[in-house]
Amino acid sequence: MLGTADATPLQFWTAVAPGSYLQLDDVVVTKRELPDREPVTIAGVVTQVRARHEGAQFDSDVFAIADGTLPAQVQEAAEVTTTRVDPELYVPPAPGAVVSRASGEARAAALHFDRMERRVPMGTGRDGVPVFLNADFLDGTRGAHVSISGISGVATKTSFATFLLFSVFRSGQLGADGANARALIFNVKGEDLLFLDHPNTKLDERTVAAYKQLELDATAFPDVRVYAPPRAGDSSGAPDVASRLTGVDSFYWTLAEFCEKRLLPYVFADADDERQQYTMVVHSVAAHLARYAVPAEGGISLDGVRLGSYEDLVDHVVDRLTDDETRTTWAGSAVSMGTVNAFARRLISSKRDLSRLIRGDLAQRRPHQIKTAESAQVTVVDLHNLPDRAQRFVVGVTLKSEFEDKEKTGTSRPLLFVVLDELNKYAPREGSSPIKEVLLDIAERGRSLGVILIGAQQTASEVERRIVTNSAVRVVGRLDPAEASRPEYGFLPPAMRQRALLARPGTMFVNQPDIPVPLCVEFPFPAWATRKSESGPPPSGTMRSIVQGADPFAVVGSRGGSSDDDIPF
Amino acid sequence: MKMYVDSWDPSYGTSFEPGSGEGPGSPSSAQVDTDVEVPASGWAPIEAPAGLRCPDVVLLVDGVRRNDAMLWTEEDDGTSYAGLAASYAAGVVRCDLGRGVAELADHRVGRGLFTASPSAQALSAGPVRYEIHRLGGAGEASKLPVAVQVPLTALEIEVSAAARSHGQDESDLLVVDGPLRSRRQLPRTIGYVKRQESQYLPAALNTVVTALRPGQRTPVFAIGTMWGGWSWYLRLPGAGGAPWAGIVRVECSSEMPAAQAVELADLSCATLPRFASAAYKDPRAPQNLLPIAGLERRLRALLGDSRVLYRALTTATAYAR
Repeated sequence: MLGTADATPLQFWTAVAPGSYLQLDDVVVTKRELPDREPVTIAGVVTQVRARHEGAQFDSDVFAIADGTLPAQVQEAAEVTTTRVDPELYVPPAPGAVVSRASGEARAAALHFDRMERRVPMGTGRDGVPVFLNADFLDGTRGAHVSISGISGVATKTSFATFLLFSVFRSGQLGADGANARALIFNVKGEDLLFLDHPNTKLDERTVAAYKQLELDATAFPDVRVYAPPRAGDSSGAPDVASRLTGVDSFYWTLAEFCEKRLLPYVFADADDERQQYTMVVHSVAAHLARYAVPAEGGISLDGVRLGSYEDLVDHVVDRLTDDETRTTWAGSAVSMGTVNAFARRLISSKRDLSRLIRGDLAQRRPHQIKTAESAQVTVVDLHNLPDRAQRFVVGVTLKSEFEDKEKTGTSRPLLFVVLDELNKYAPREGSSPIKEVLLDIAERGRSLGVILIGAQQTASEVERRIVTNSAVRVVGRLDPAEASRPEYGFLPPAMRQRALLARPGTMFVNQPDIPVPLCVEFPFPAWATRKSESGPPPSGTMRSIVQGADPFAVVGSRGGSSDDDIPF
Repeated sequence: MKMYVDSWDPSYGTSFEPGSGEGPGSPSSAQVDTDVEVPASGWAPIEAPAGLRCPDVVLLVDGVRRNDAMLWTEEDDGTSYAGLAASYAAGVVRCDLGRGVAELADHRVGRGLFTASPSAQALSAGPVRYEIHRLGGAGEASKLPVAVQVPLTALEIEVSAAARSHGQDESDLLVVDGPLRSRRQLPRTIGYVKRQESQYLPAALNTVVTALRPGQRTPVFAIGTMWGGWSWYLRLPGAGGAPWAGIVRVECSSEMPAAQAVELADLSCATLPRFASAAYKDPRAPQNLLPIAGLERRLRALLGDSRVLYRALTTATAYAR
């Protein structure tokens, strides 16, 4: 303990003895003797370390010192931020007291791991020992939702999100909840999340050992189902993926579903759309479609006309709206022509983006809906081939239906983890849109319904504040310098904020409610493939999709052939 | 006529002291033999022999002192004596030029209560203890500071001997700050006199001193006083162009043969310029050597905080009453 700098109960400086060292994030512990009381144990985390020449007056003295002509002493000192005071008696540690590196139980106590009933391993600290996340703040018991921020490319946001999921599913800390939990992952960029169930061929012994240290097996996700949009212009509805060939199902909505479930508003899911006049038209047209559309052979029949594709539907709607006789029944009476035209213009422009997703030509019986309850443990929805408007449509509709299903069941179990990158696109701070409403709903009510949002974004400052503040766990990878100074990252102490600017891939700073200091975590390299070149053989179950993919009536991708429809002998 | 600004800070006086009556301008009464190395008629500046390297290990010894408090005693018979509570410290810097490390090899701190009072006892002030050093005579307050020099010199000898006993290096050089005086029994030791208070050389030879260029020395000469010995002048680099700027006098024990003294003189020529300090960093540059300045700073720090000691002394004397 230094006596030349003020020691406070929450922060103090310690001198580092010659021959030893302290690095950032080291956990240290010291004791303070008190009269007539048990001694107070003060534990903390090193948040800054400095070294200087004692005995040098001028900057240039360093040359004389290095030359061996001026006597000076190198003295290192470390700033410690208190994480725990036990018993809770906030006295400063006494100058001169011995501060030692904590290990074993002392370390666990310093980081509050001993109070966590269920601990989900997140990776290792700088000292190479596991650090944990309190599961109470993940599964909704005391908090839920994870917010991950960091610049793209080096922050490894999605890797951390998938590792966290892996840890939740495989660590067994959540008991049956962990095994039964479902995950819905939206793959926004590249095809790197499509190989979650493929073993990683580049897995080396060090990574296996790192997993073992966290008491995890270095395996791929065992139970993954991948959905991709149908190929554009392909009437068979084959999934549009380039690298993954097996175990991919295509997802789409039939025209009947589109009308019946009133999905039209999600076509207009731009952030600024809600402010426009034509939203009135959107809702009245959606209501009209829901009321009058009749399913007919995959497509729908409307006003006696059979519509077999999204283009047909759009053309039909635009036709009726421009017709003076039918306009009032479709759009309501008090709507000006300009508003109708604005609506029609946007609707027509959506044809190109959405025609491959909203189909009237494919069999209704073929499973094509994304439903996590009926899908595998991990459901990956591939969006990376889709244009922006289509991505919003898929995310909005999928989340909406998942959330409604959860609301209907009324229980928070099984848990559903939703991984969504680019959250600032779907829930921007400014404006409102149907998707943002769904996400806000999840952020605010999801905790009790067992829907847990793992949102990732480059800039937390551009995401709706209520979503960020509702996240119990906040994770930061490498940050942009301008972004790091925003108040959204106020939980990072100044030294850590600086470090976040140069965090390496695989290093995250995790803030959880019951530890006052964010922890620096290094999580292991994925044990599953993240691209085609490193993927091992596909799991045998996925081969089924090749032989059965051509049969539009087969139950594609149903798990392991254990469908209830099968004859059990 | 040319004018030069003396490189020492005015508060330290000047590097020579004509005001004291015996400046370099005024001849010393000492017997000086100038024919030791070369005959007086052949005197000229001497450079260090080419190829002579300074030793890998140079030890530098210095001491610092501080008056912590002036005290007055009140004797039973009503008389009063002055007392001085002083802290002093001596230390050795071991400059390992080969490794590029300068470290405080050894240091001792002493504190003493200097008084002529027959009844005064050692004083314990807080955590420190001032040993009694009883002086003879009337013990005027003005003579007390001089008395501190005695135990300080003893302390310096102690640490220099101790520093030598650690290192077994036979080629090292010990530089003592100030005249050697009673420290002459130490081997391979030179005394280093920063301030020229008296002039030993005859006027004709002084021109050789003022003609020295940085790194050059005069031939060795012998001073025949009690504390005398072999001696030579050396000019350090970095001073202004004034005739006596950067001049130091180096001396070594008269007990060694003249040839060995010349050897040491050459060695000092190769060694000392390297340690000269820079004017903007040290008010007594270049004479106050860099390691010595660093050592003094460290030793002053080791003396303890003067305000704390003053408070402890005040409290201790108040309780003793």
